[in-house]
Amino acid sequence: MNEMNEAEAARKKFRKELKSGTVSLVLLSILSRAEHPMYGYQITKNIDSGEGSGPDMGQGALYPVLRSLEKTGLLESRVEPSVSGPPRRYYSITEAGRETLVDWTGTWEETRNFVDATLKGDRDV
Amino acid sequence: MSELINEYLGRLKAALSGADPATIQDALCDAEEHLWTALELAREEKPGIQDSEAVRAEIERYGSPEEVASAYLRIGPRFGASVGVRGASAGRSATNRFFGVFTDPTAYGALFYMFFSMITGIFYFTWAVSGLSLAAGLIVLIIGLPFLGIFLLSVRGIAHVEGRIIEALLGVRMPRRPIFARKGLSWSGRLSALVRDPMTWKNILYMVLMLPLGIIYFTVTFVSLVLSFWGMLRPVLEYGFDLPYAQIDNVAYFTTEWMMPVVMATGVLWLFVTMHMARGLGRMHARMARSLLVRD
Repeated sequence: MNEMNEAEAARKKFRKELKSGTVSLVLLSILSRAEHPMYGYQITKNIDSGEGSGPDMGQGALYPVLRSLEKTGLLESRVEPSVSGPPRRYYSITEAGRETLVDWTGTWEETRNFVDATLKGDRDV
Repeated sequence: MSELINEYLGRLKAALSGADPATIQDALCDAEEHLWTALELAREEKPGIQDSEAVRAEIERYGSPEEVASAYLRIGPRFGASVGVRGASAGRSATNRFFGVFTDPTAYGALFYMFFSMITGIFYFTWAVSGLSLAAGLIVLIIGLPFLGIFLLSVRGIAHVEGRIIEALLGVRMPRRPIFARKGLSWSGRLSALVRDPMTWKNILYMVLMLPLGIIYFTVTFVSLVLSFWGMLRPVLEYGFDLPYAQIDNVAYFTTEWMMPVVMATGVLWLFVTMHMARGLGRMHARMARSLLVRD
C-alpha cells in the first residue's frame, strides 16, 4: 500500500516538473495563434479543451506564469472593465515573445528528439 | 456565490501572508477575475445550476489556495503597483514614456473623469447632506427610521456605482463585496448593520468630499487644457483673426514672430503635461476611493 503511494507521489512529482517546464512554451504558442488578446479564463479553457492532459496543475497556477512572461516582456497586457464582473486582464504576445517562441520551439524539438532517441534505444549507451 | 469566492480569496491571502504586497494583489486580482468569469459563464451555459455548486467546481479546478500561492511565490516578487497599463510602459525611455501618455486609454479616461467629477461631486454632496439632515430631522417621527434605512441603502448603492465608474475610467480595480455579510436578516437587523458598518459612513464622507475635489479637478484640468490650446492656437488667433494676446491701455500685444514656434511648441508640450496630470490625479483619486468606497 505504502509503495503504491510512493510510486504515485513520484509520478506526480515527475509530471509536475515536466509540465511546469513546458507551460511557458504552451502559453506563448496559444497567444501567438490568438487573433485577439485573450484573458486568463479563455486561455485556461483553451488548454483544457485540448488533447492530452494539459499542464498538470490547477488553473490558478497559470496566472503567475502569465505575469512572469509579461514581466520579462514576452507578453503585454491591458486591463479592461467587464460588464458585470471584475475587470479582465487581456494578454497578447509581443514581438520579443514571437522571437522567443521560435527559439524555444527549437529547444523543445531538440529535447524531444533526444529523449525519444534515448527511450527507443537508438543511441548507444 | 460571492461569499464562496470571497472566502476563497481570504484563504489565498492567508496562504500568501509574508509575500510582497504587489504579489498578493496580483494573486487576488487573478483569482477574483477568473472565478467571477467562470461563474458568469456557468450561469449562461447551465441556467439551472446552483451558484454555490458552480463556484465550488471552479475553485476545485483553480487549485487549492496553498497550491496557487506557491505558484506565485515561485515566480518571485514583482515591483510596482498593478495599475492599468503599467506593464506597457516598463522598460521604455523617458521621452517615450512622456509622449506615450497619448496612447494610454487610462489617461483619456482620467481626463474625462476630471470633467465629469464636478457634476457627480455636486450631486453626491447634495444627496449626502440633504439625506443626512432630513434623516436627522425625521428621526423622531415614525417614518424616521425607514427613511434613514432607505437613505443609507442609497448611499451604498451610489458608492457601488461610483466604484464601477472609477474602475472603467481610471482603470483601478474596485473589489465588489456584498453589503450584508449575513443572509436572512430582518429589516431592523439590516438597518442596524448598515448604521454600524463604518463603510457606510466612509461612503458618506467620500460623497461629501467629492464636491470640493470635483471642483478642484475640473478647474485644474480645464485651465490646463485652455492654456495648452491657447498656446497651440496662437497663429490662428493672431494671423487669422487679428486677435492680440493682450490689450493694455489701447496697446495690442502680439507674439513676436520668432517666439511663435516656441509658444506653439509649449502649447503642445503642455497638452502632454495635462494628460500626465490627469492620469496622476486619477491614480491618487482612485487610491483614496479604494479606501473610502470598498473593503479590501
